[in-house]
Amino acid sequence: MAAQVLVLASILVFSCFADICYGAISFSSLHRTLVVTASHRQGLLMGGEDKITVTWGLNQSFQAGTDSNYRTIKVQLCYAPNSQVDRAWRKTEDHLSKDKTCQFKIVEKPYANTNETLEWTIERDVPTATFFVRAYALDEHDHEVAYGQNTDAEKTTNLFDIEAITGRHASLDIASVCFSAFSIVSLIGFFFAEKRKGRKAQQ
Amino acid sequence: MEPSSPNNPLGSNNNRATEFHPFSTSTPHMLAFHLSWLSLFSCFFSTFSIPPLLPIIRQSLNLSAADVGAAGTAAFVSSIFSRLAMGPACDLVGPRVASATLSILTAPIVLATAFISSPTSFILTRFLVGFCLANFVANQFWMSSLFSNSVVGLVNGFAAGWGSMGAGFAQLIMPLLFSLVKSFNVPENNAWRVVFVVPATFQAITAVLVLVYGQELPRENHGDSKRVCDNKPKESLLEVVFNGLTNYRGWILCLTYGFCFGVEMTMDNIIAQYFYYTFGVKLEVAGIIAACFGWTNCFARPIGGVISDQMAKWFGIRGRLWGLWVVQTVAGLLCVLMGRVESLGGSIAVMCVFSVFVQASSGLTFGIVPFISNRSLGVISGMTGSGGTVGAVVTQMLLFSGDKFSTQTSISMMGLMMIVCSLPISLIYFPRWGGMFCAPYSFHQTSTDEEDYRLLV
Repeated sequence: MAAQVLVLASILVFSCFADICYGAISFSSLHRTLVVTASHRQGLLMGGEDKITVTWGLNQSFQAGTDSNYRTIKVQLCYAPNSQVDRAWRKTEDHLSKDKTCQFKIVEKPYANTNETLEWTIERDVPTATFFVRAYALDEHDHEVAYGQNTDAEKTTNLFDIEAITGRHASLDIASVCFSAFSIVSLIGFFFAEKRKGRKAQQ
Repeated sequence: MEPSSPNNPLGSNNNRATEFHPFSTSTPHMLAFHLSWLSLFSCFFSTFSIPPLLPIIRQSLNLSAADVGAAGTAAFVSSIFSRLAMGPACDLVGPRVASATLSILTAPIVLATAFISSPTSFILTRFLVGFCLANFVANQFWMSSLFSNSVVGLVNGFAAGWGSMGAGFAQLIMPLLFSLVKSFNVPENNAWRVVFVVPATFQAITAVLVLVYGQELPRENHGDSKRVCDNKPKESLLEVVFNGLTNYRGWILCLTYGFCFGVEMTMDNIIAQYFYYTFGVKLEVAGIIAACFGWTNCFARPIGGVISDQMAKWFGIRGRLWGLWVVQTVAGLLCVLMGRVESLGGSIAVMCVFSVFVQASSGLTFGIVPFISNRSLGVISGMTGSGGTVGAVVTQMLLFSGDKFSTQTSISMMGLMMIVCSLPISLIYFPRWGGMFCAPYSFHQTSTDEEDYRLLV
């Protein structure tokens, strides 16, 4: 019995450490070797409708061969700091496995040693917030090895706002109103019926 | 001559049932039991239908952590007042009419999630939906009217336990319904609004069933019965309420229930988010894990009632008090542990054991409530019930609003609060039956009917 408790306890304790040992890449260890730009129309961008044109490529001021281990490029839409305030589910963490800054994938494709462009329609599920674009270069093990973003290191420039689709629909609104009316009418109807039954029973 | 029935072989106990057959639907007792717990189930389902979808809703409405916490608190604040009011309402119009009216009036509000477009309207909706949790008081009152003292602890435990499973059911079913609606190519922002049709309709249906098929008292409904029986003294509603409010034992149970049932409700609110965010599991998986927490109510709360009845057979009321204190303190220790466990598997395991203990302590609490006051039963039930939601509000506001503490630290601190707030159970003292540490004071068995009626001691 004591041995079983000890085994269970040690499993619990060691599983606590498992997370630390397994593949924790930190953002601060990555080099910013990619150049990323994002252009769009003026004004507030609408989810599901507007497009963003994203370009990315290796920064030519680095030596040739810097990108020898880049296999895949992953471009993502990331939350700007003012959209992360008081929202722990969007928090920036240095350990990339825990980082929640970039939650929307724009594109993921094999890395090509040229400048690439993509015109991306903002998905309907993107929420209302302020964003920037970041690209990660991944090696053959799908580990991040480098990055680039269209804003500066403090994430203050070149940010853009996106407005989500409203989600409300006329049919839903009408159904709600009808249902409410029906409930209240049937409740009143029930009270009348009970009163009439009571009066009949007394007669 | 009162015809005998399987539930009432001797025709005594004011025709209240002396046996409990959970798989029978014989009228009026067992049918009322099933209608009542189903109605309570639908209310819990509606109130807790929002938390499992919070990761989606908070993105859709751009909610901050403070907004989410405020909405969770609001859901319980409204039930504090509605539970307090439900006690006298049951005395006035009967539990059947009171609970069905409340259900029918709150069902459209669940569907009104279709209209939410800002954090304020979200908080307001959760506030209004929270009113329906008062049906718990009506449920317990109804069961106490139909079942005799020998089985009332057990029946109350089953009715409340099965009703509370609605929260667990919501945690499981809402993410699945959401995925189903999304699979028809509906954007997330629309999909989460559509799925609330299910809890709203279910709540309305159960309310109608209660009205049509339910019966409040063993022989008739409340409105048909004479209000004054021969051996009960005539009292105004105000006297009954005052009698209940001035009983210190009711207030102690109000506090302790706040830290067993209140903790359970807070957990229902935060558990899906906790697993989704802290351990990175998918929304449906987080819902399943959170559902396990609610589903232990199926047997855990009744077990609390059974333990209470058994301790009473061995040690009387003192046994009930000790049982409650021990079980609730162990629950507090497990809650502290849950906040310290870092792995997913360990967290789930501790959560399951914790859920059994915290729900059993709720059952044990309502094994004591019927004995505090006979005439003011509704008021004491209402006080204790609303104490549960006060506890939920306090823990939600102090520990799970904003970014002050990490969720894991908050869970451990909640466990500590449970342990500390279980200590006042030792202050409950019945002169005739004693308390946890003190022997009974009065051995006179010759109290008048009136004394017995006011205080079952």
